[in-house]
Amino acid sequence: MDVLRVENLSVSFYRPEGEIEAVKNVSFSLGEGEILAIMGESGCGKSVLCKSILKLLPDIAKRKAGGIFIRGEEITDYSEKQMQKLRGSFFSMVFQNPMTALHPCLSVGAQIGEAVRLRQPHLTPGERKRRVEELMELAGLEHPGACARQYPFQLSGGMAQRCVIAIALAAEPAVLFADEATTALDVTVQSQILELFLKLRKKTGMSIVLVTHNPGVAARAADRAALMKEGELTRIGDVEEIFEEIKHHQNFISCG
Amino acid sequence: MKKSNIIRILYHAGSFLLSVFALSVLVFTISRLAPRDPLYAYYGERVEKMSVEEQEQARERLGLNASVPVQYMRWLACALHGDFGISYQYKTDVKEVLAARVGNTLLLGGMSFALIFVLALWLGLFCAWREERLTDRLICRIGTVTSCIPEFWLSLLFILLFAVWLGWLPGSGAYSVGKEGSAADRAVHLILPLTVVVLGHLWYYAFQVRNRLLEEVRADYVLLARMKGLSGKQVLRRHCLRSTMPSYLSMMAVAFPHILGGTYVVELVFSYPGIGTLAYESARYKDYNLLMVISLLTGITVIFCNMLAQGINERLDPRMRAQSKVGRGEAGGV
Amino acid sequence: MKKKIPVPSLLVLTIIVILCFACELIMTKDPLYMDLSHCSEAPGKEFLFGTDTMGRDIFSMIWYGGRISLIIGFLATLLSTVLAVVIGSVSGCASAPVDGILMRMTELILSVPGLLLTVFLQAVFGRANVYSLSVVLGLTGWMSMAKVVRTEVLQLRNTDYVLAARCLGGGFFHVLRYHLAPNFFPSVLFMAVMNVRNAIVAESTLSFMGLGLPVEEVSWGSMLSLSENALLSRSWWVILIPGIFLAGTLLSLTNLGNYMRRSTNKRHSNLGCEEKDKKIRNKI
Repeated sequence: MDVLRVENLSVSFYRPEGEIEAVKNVSFSLGEGEILAIMGESGCGKSVLCKSILKLLPDIAKRKAGGIFIRGEEITDYSEKQMQKLRGSFFSMVFQNPMTALHPCLSVGAQIGEAVRLRQPHLTPGERKRRVEELMELAGLEHPGACARQYPFQLSGGMAQRCVIAIALAAEPAVLFADEATTALDVTVQSQILELFLKLRKKTGMSIVLVTHNPGVAARAADRAALMKEGELTRIGDVEEIFEEIKHHQNFISCG
Repeated sequence: MKKSNIIRILYHAGSFLLSVFALSVLVFTISRLAPRDPLYAYYGERVEKMSVEEQEQARERLGLNASVPVQYMRWLACALHGDFGISYQYKTDVKEVLAARVGNTLLLGGMSFALIFVLALWLGLFCAWREERLTDRLICRIGTVTSCIPEFWLSLLFILLFAVWLGWLPGSGAYSVGKEGSAADRAVHLILPLTVVVLGHLWYYAFQVRNRLLEEVRADYVLLARMKGLSGKQVLRRHCLRSTMPSYLSMMAVAFPHILGGTYVVELVFSYPGIGTLAYESARYKDYNLLMVISLLTGITVIFCNMLAQGINERLDPRMRAQSKVGRGEAGGV
Repeated sequence: MKKKIPVPSLLVLTIIVILCFACELIMTKDPLYMDLSHCSEAPGKEFLFGTDTMGRDIFSMIWYGGRISLIIGFLATLLSTVLAVVIGSVSGCASAPVDGILMRMTELILSVPGLLLTVFLQAVFGRANVYSLSVVLGLTGWMSMAKVVRTEVLQLRNTDYVLAARCLGGGFFHVLRYHLAPNFFPSVLFMAVMNVRNAIVAESTLSFMGLGLPVEEVSWGSMLSLSENALLSRSWWVILIPGIFLAGTLLSLTNLGNYMRRSTNKRHSNLGCEEKDKKIRNKI
């Protein structure tokens, strides 16, 4: 059974100037342990799509039509309270810029600890600390003990992103959304993070939605890829197929 | 203690003393530039009946005929020994006159400050949570109106309404005659001035809290916190509030002398026996020694609170803390 | 979220300003004439807003005195704004030591309690009149605005377009006129409007305390200085009416100032909440 299925989802922003359709009639499904890349130019609605599934959009955005199902159960009309439960456990998300995603005035250890406490409230402080270090190691951070005491501004971009990933992992999610998770990083760090995603998938069996505008990232990590353009999902299929098609298309343009 | 810490403390203490010194020069100079004769404060209208020689003698005795720098040096020498001279008007030691009044002002100012501190935070949080909705808009409207009304007129209005028309509360003084020791009586006399001071200042600070929080609410870390499974309210209270705290505390440190200064006018309208009424009297009657000390006292509070605010910011915000360890960044920081 | 023009405030302000400056046309009595046979009379047909404790007609005084209050507010602001912009820009553009000295000086003056500073300065000028009071209020009101201007200049100074203008050979005044001023104009305008407000408050407070304009020179503040007698005789109109005009003007100025301030918060809140959701769902 698909771990996540989206059917005919449409999302609009209602501004004083009028309605803006950000996502139009999008359908896709995500298998257990699968990595799906959603590709498209900046502003095509990839990010809005993810956030609307998680109901993290600002108030002016509204789902107009469509349904969202997790493991066959419909969550389309879940209340904020029900979503809150899903967010810390079933879903998790990694953001584009780790520097702004982490709270600037809290040590990263405290921030990961909070996520652990929300997921596993019964742990004693000592156990929680051990769990934090375990997660940081899982996210590929060396010297977790020392690192936990650092503040975000003291970390490099790659390390900060690993901390965000550690927070995401604390939820032990079934589905991880990576919203341009490698875009703000150096190329070498990018590939390390992608390696990390592949390793984590193997270890935990979670599914990953990889949102990116970089075809290289998608080609490297994804099993399947979807192309998004102006809010619509134009093409979805195996990575090889899609890239074959893109290549063909580009040859066609350059020849033509 | 580390060597760098000692140097830092010395640096702060030095700049504090320097500021106080410069302040005293400034206040002294301005006060001596005033053309009206301070002899009036001492002798009242009798000055006009005095002969020129008598006036000269009186000036000599009070040390008023030397040049301003000499007068300042004399004043400074005495002040360093804790002698701030006598009040021309009350004919007693300035310190005694002040000591009798300081408690009253601190009581009124301190209570106002405490109330404003708590209420501003609470109101700011509430408005940020209900952003742009009816309650928030309503509170913003009312707040703007109250912060626009001059304090003295609000005091007059309250006296007119509650003391003259309704007769519920006393409209002047700090206690009724013959009930000086009664705490309940003090409290009843405090209600109106306290309300005016709080109403006059509260919204400014609450609005600042609201706006800072609204900025925080738009930060990316809010999304991450919500992804952890926190509700919006929890994120606001635990995360957003936390990052506004350093700036709020330092803002309130600066606010303290400001609120204390705000009580001066209110004290006057309510004839409340505090520093404010004293400052007013000494300004009116050119009671230089007294006015000097009041200005200095207030100025020192301001300087001290400003330094405290800076210190709070550097201590509480981990980013600033790291910066001050590395050394002040490039020159011309804000 | 575009800001709406504060129509009511603008309207109130315009009406008050026009009527005050055209006060000769609408005054029913001589505002300075003390009619001792009509002291503390309640509002009625002859005296629309009543008379004060000295027998003057409050209706006429409101407009006549309002003009003086407004003039003082305007003149004081003119002076303080010019001072603030010059000192702030110089401080922002100057080398670190000059900047340091200027800012320490500003903070020092800022640390003297405002009211006392005004009283001191007023004493230097001698007996208060409209112009001396304006100058005093202007001299005591520029500090915080100068700090804002300096901060803005500092932020702008290092931006690339200022650098570009400098590279093209633009001098200090060229950069100030064409690049710096347009950028800090909104905040300066906001602070200028707030300074008008503060000057009017300061004038009325001082005059009320008897340290500003004397009772014979009519302004909203000096009208209120009679309030002590009025409280005794329960002449509420002496206190209420000038105060309402004062507060109304101040409120309109504040709203206008807030409108001029650069609007922030273009983004939308990341805090979702249930009730908001429902409200919007119903709307659609």
